[in-house]
Amino acid sequence: MTMVVADVGAPAPIETVPARPQRRRRRGRITLWLAAAWLGFVAVSAIGANFLPYIKHSCSQYSNPKQCSTHIKGDLLKIEKPPAWAWFSNPEKQIGKGPERTGWFGTDRNGYDLFSRSMFGARNSLLIGALSITFGLVLGTILGMISGYYRGWADRIIEVVTNILLAFPALLLAIFIVTFSDKPNSTSSAGDTRSITPIIIALSILAVPPLTRLVRANTIMYAQREFVIAARSIGARNRRILVREILPNIVPTLLSFALTGLALLLVAEGALAALGLSVEAPLPTWGRMISSGQERLRSGIWWPSLMPAMVMFLTILAINLLGDILAERFNTREVIA
Amino acid sequence: MSSQLQVELRGREGPLLEVTDLHTHFKTARGLVRSVDGVSFTLDRGAALGIVGESGSGKTVLSRSIMGLLPKRDTVKSGSVVFEGQELIDMSLRQRQRIWGKEMSMIFQDPMTSLNPVMRVGKQIGEGLRMHLGMSKADARATALKLLQDVRIPSPDRRLDQYSFELSGGMRQRVMIALAMSCGPTLMFADEPTTALDVTVQAQILDLLDEQRRERNMSLILVTHDLGVVAGRTDEIAVMYGGKLVEKAPTAELFANMKMPYTEALLNSIPKLADPSHTRLNVIPGRPPDLVNPPKGCRFAPRCPYARERCQEEEPPLIPTAEDPGHVYACWYPVGSPEYHETRARRQAEAATLTEAEVAA
Repeated sequence: MTMVVADVGAPAPIETVPARPQRRRRRGRITLWLAAAWLGFVAVSAIGANFLPYIKHSCSQYSNPKQCSTHIKGDLLKIEKPPAWAWFSNPEKQIGKGPERTGWFGTDRNGYDLFSRSMFGARNSLLIGALSITFGLVLGTILGMISGYYRGWADRIIEVVTNILLAFPALLLAIFIVTFSDKPNSTSSAGDTRSITPIIIALSILAVPPLTRLVRANTIMYAQREFVIAARSIGARNRRILVREILPNIVPTLLSFALTGLALLLVAEGALAALGLSVEAPLPTWGRMISSGQERLRSGIWWPSLMPAMVMFLTILAINLLGDILAERFNTREVIA
Repeated sequence: MSSQLQVELRGREGPLLEVTDLHTHFKTARGLVRSVDGVSFTLDRGAALGIVGESGSGKTVLSRSIMGLLPKRDTVKSGSVVFEGQELIDMSLRQRQRIWGKEMSMIFQDPMTSLNPVMRVGKQIGEGLRMHLGMSKADARATALKLLQDVRIPSPDRRLDQYSFELSGGMRQRVMIALAMSCGPTLMFADEPTTALDVTVQAQILDLLDEQRRERNMSLILVTHDLGVVAGRTDEIAVMYGGKLVEKAPTAELFANMKMPYTEALLNSIPKLADPSHTRLNVIPGRPPDLVNPPKGCRFAPRCPYARERCQEEEPPLIPTAEDPGHVYACWYPVGSPEYHETRARRQAEAATLTEAEVAA
């Protein structure tokens, strides 16, 4: 660079200009792969936790393993020893001092290996997050497109409702919904589904207003584009314009926003769990694991709370990074087009 | 069946399009904007009409209101638009959608934005074919290929699967023309089709439009701000100013014998190749009228060098010239009238004394 400065009068070196974005893109690629790898790992773990060498129960704190056989949903949990390569979930390995510091993540009070449990928890957390954001997306897209395209009274009604929902403290709203949709006469036989549904409903409703606004703004923008008028001028009907002309243009923005939304909903689930409003025991979610380990933080037993917190943190970070990269990519494409 | 045929036969007679006293006003916070304020004209089958005017003269709004493309909200429309014997003004959206594409279609100014960036070109052209003509996917694709060949896009089979942003501006406009022609419309609007293109491509696109119009026996309404664009390519030219038609004549007649000082000013503002370099460009002083509160008399009067008291007070009607009933104009003291010559002589004398004074100083 100094040589260039000395070279007075020479035309500016052109090659320095594109050098920068290239370096940025490479750095972006590494984070992209790291984030994708972690998310892939968590997703595979969540889906296949039963078949992967994650133990369902660790009995390291018992001298006699037969003592600790536990029933969950009527099934006798097997005491398994993971294969040697699955070192991360080996409960017999002593890692640090403390009664439950065995295995890489440690175990909780009941003797559950925290790594294994985090992966079983990923199943519920991600299911809740993914289903909520999907419902939010579907509803938000429909409402946003209707209000942005047709305007008029539909727009006014949707806008008022959206504004009311947005003005409400999000957590308070979620607490209301969970509390009211939780039927008191529920029995344990329908346990799992019953306890997951109100949370999904609550989080979906939280996701709808911002997505509606995003879609509405984008729809208004694209509805005024000339290609939409062009489509109209060859006789396309409204529904066709919405589905074939406008929707495909919104999808990239929507997807990158949906990832950020998913991350937010995972955090929101954690907040609900901290208030004791998430799924019921023994079903694990990250939020529930963190909050149930919380009380023992003071006594120096940090891993039951912080280990799942770390898994959750890494996952949300990865989702956000991926969302950022997607947003950036789609923006640049927009500039080129 | 027979009644349908009859309707069709009846439609074949007379002009293709008859616009009578068309008004399009927009409700805005500032007041009613009179974008199109009483325009009447007729267009024959297979004929080409050029609509010329500067920005804000209402030419785009005129073409869109004839087609019925404007949003219903905050728009006030009145008058009559008869197309093939059908009144379009009070037609429902559903009925109009049946006409759009099949009977009339439109090409837009900016081919960068008038094609959907996330749909392949072939599919986009095929949309209308499948919608209106009920073609199968394969047929639509074959027809789209044929259309791309017609608009002379190089290697059309490859373009079918490309996206609009992979094409050059000229090619995009060709795609747009193919799209607009796909269902064989009888009337095509071209709204400044070459404004966003560079000059060499402009001529190609205009020639293409002209050629396709003749081949398919379409009528064409070419909207532009450039008299040079319409000069050799339309049968008639209509000049718009402030939402009104101020002059309309067969193309040759208009250039040879223009009546409206505004038309003259438009023509004078085209730079001439013969002029020495650094010649000042001729401009029309002032700006287009405020269409919320248009001037009381002739709308061009505030900017017209030949305007007199009567021009400020009374609005001139559209009257035919003595020589050619097809040539109409709206001016009290048209080009060639004694008053026009008098003002012109006075202004020239003034200009001369001014330069003399400059020389003396």
